[in-house]
Amino acid sequence: MNRGAAVAGENGRGDRIVFDDVSKFYGEVLGVNRVRLSLPPGITGLVGPNGSGKTTLMNLMVGLLRPSRGTVRVLGMPTDRPEALFRRVGYATQYDAFPPGLTGYQLIESLLRVHGHDPRQAAAWTWQALERVGMVEAAGRKVAAYSKGMRQRVKLAQAIAHHPSVLVLDEPLNGLDPMARAELIALLRELAAAGLYVVVSSHILHEVDLISDQVVMLNGGYVVAEGDIVEVRDEMDEQHPAQVLIRCDRPELLAARAFEQDHVVEARMLADHSGLLLRTRDAGSFYRMLNQVVIDQGLIVESVAPADANVEAVYQYLIDAPSGNGGAS
Amino acid sequence: MSGPEPAGAVATALPLPPEAPPAPLPGLPWALWRRQLAAVVRLELRKSFLGRRALGLYLLALAPPAVLVLRALLPRAVSDPGNLGEATQLMAGLYQGFILRVVIFLGCVAIFGNLIRREVLDRSLHFYFLTPMRRELLVLAKYLTGLVVSLALFGASTLISFVLAYLPHDGRLRSAFLLHGPGLGHLGAYLLVTALACAGYGAVFLTLGFFFRSPAIPALALFGWEAIHFLLPPVLKQLSVIHYLQALCPVPFSEGPFALLSDAPSRWGSICGLLALTAVLLTISTLRIRRMEVIYLDD
Repeated sequence: MNRGAAVAGENGRGDRIVFDDVSKFYGEVLGVNRVRLSLPPGITGLVGPNGSGKTTLMNLMVGLLRPSRGTVRVLGMPTDRPEALFRRVGYATQYDAFPPGLTGYQLIESLLRVHGHDPRQAAAWTWQALERVGMVEAAGRKVAAYSKGMRQRVKLAQAIAHHPSVLVLDEPLNGLDPMARAELIALLRELAAAGLYVVVSSHILHEVDLISDQVVMLNGGYVVAEGDIVEVRDEMDEQHPAQVLIRCDRPELLAARAFEQDHVVEARMLADHSGLLLRTRDAGSFYRMLNQVVIDQGLIVESVAPADANVEAVYQYLIDAPSGNGGAS
Repeated sequence: MSGPEPAGAVATALPLPPEAPPAPLPGLPWALWRRQLAAVVRLELRKSFLGRRALGLYLLALAPPAVLVLRALLPRAVSDPGNLGEATQLMAGLYQGFILRVVIFLGCVAIFGNLIRREVLDRSLHFYFLTPMRRELLVLAKYLTGLVVSLALFGASTLISFVLAYLPHDGRLRSAFLLHGPGLGHLGAYLLVTALACAGYGAVFLTLGFFFRSPAIPALALFGWEAIHFLLPPVLKQLSVIHYLQALCPVPFSEGPFALLSDAPSRWGSICGLLALTAVLLTISTLRIRRMEVIYLDD
């Protein structure tokens, strides 16, 4: 079954976030075009530069925007029924604006009351959410007086306060100091481990690489790749040979054996002669050959690591590819 | 409260509350809607009408009483303290010429025209759109908030103006007029007109807020239309809100020698017409918000 048919088939499923041939145009300006996605639980990273369509995709996911074409369903729910959708979905937007005059506590508590919770429950859940993001001490201060990092955290608290199953976070790491970033990443992993669907956007690729179980790469409003980052990378071997960094005791021996293989296109000795940086069109065959050298020649290998199986490298390959908007998946 | 989760749902990561909310009963969730409505009204009052932003509204509502206080300070402000007819005419002129046409009109532009627009300018509308609340209910809650605020401000303004208009006159005559004469009836009628004006103009400006980025231009056009209402032929008079409001005022007010006369609509016709107009405009607003997208101006 092709991918489009697969997505269409999943449209009715209640356990996925499904975009079925979704396009969004702002007048004549393209937001996103012909997006077909089926997002499973776990952390999904939306990656792309500013203007690539990440926020549009997220706003479509929560019904703040309506698709010009196609349909979006979140866990089987249409996105134009907020009364059902937002029992299950929490969204921290990128907008750095808040209702005026409210403290952090009042913001979250008031919105939980708008959800329909009684005052006692709203108060309990507000404190719980503030505690999770480390904002209890600042709860009584006006949001307008918060630092950028504190505003990011109170947005997150507001998004998780009603115990959603789907958490959508637009650039959540912006403005956070390193400690807060580490804490937020740990929290996202904890939420994903508990079965939540966490969708996170970032234009900083290595951040997404750090936290995502799967990625959706966007460029110019098109999805250029999606899935597990290593799998995406493997599909690009022919066009962009994989780079492998090997630290071993006899790199010249390994280089000689490597050049006997058809799939190895380049092998460079490291400056300190402690290993090789090698490019191959068939990483699997290379690793088998390496094992053989270890067994036959007694090569001592200190470390082996892919040098470009990360989001940043893959993204660069994809947007530099002459095929443009095609893309692996 | 959240209902039973559909098949295939995942467990929530955060612990559930000790007492899980009961499953909703079949039928419309009136209790939930009531709680949501109350929550939005409470939040709107706190963020929009109890702070510095509302200062202009308070000053606007204070203007008519201020005019009467200034008048009372003038020497020989009241030519005959025993003539209550003078106060009745003064109140009729002040109410129909200033309170109704200027104070309530501009107040409703400021209150209702900004209920949605201000949220867009503040980039905070999405906070409401990201809650499990029917958007129609959000419109009603915001309208209700505007109504509460406008009625409190302009109702109080009307009441104080009424008291101040009669205050310089003879106390015995005043008591007789209020307690045994038509005084309380006049006051009730003015308050009723104020309420209907807030409801009608409120619905107009709430609706315009959905169609125009700035309510100033349509408000100015409507202000002009209402201002020249007395010059309009009878058919066109029926297309102005003030035509129906004036018909409910307890004391006629001369609009000058150039005014074109027409039959005043009946009292009940005016009340029902204004309420029907309000209902139609609120329906348009609810339909509009259902399809509204959040695209802030500088996105």
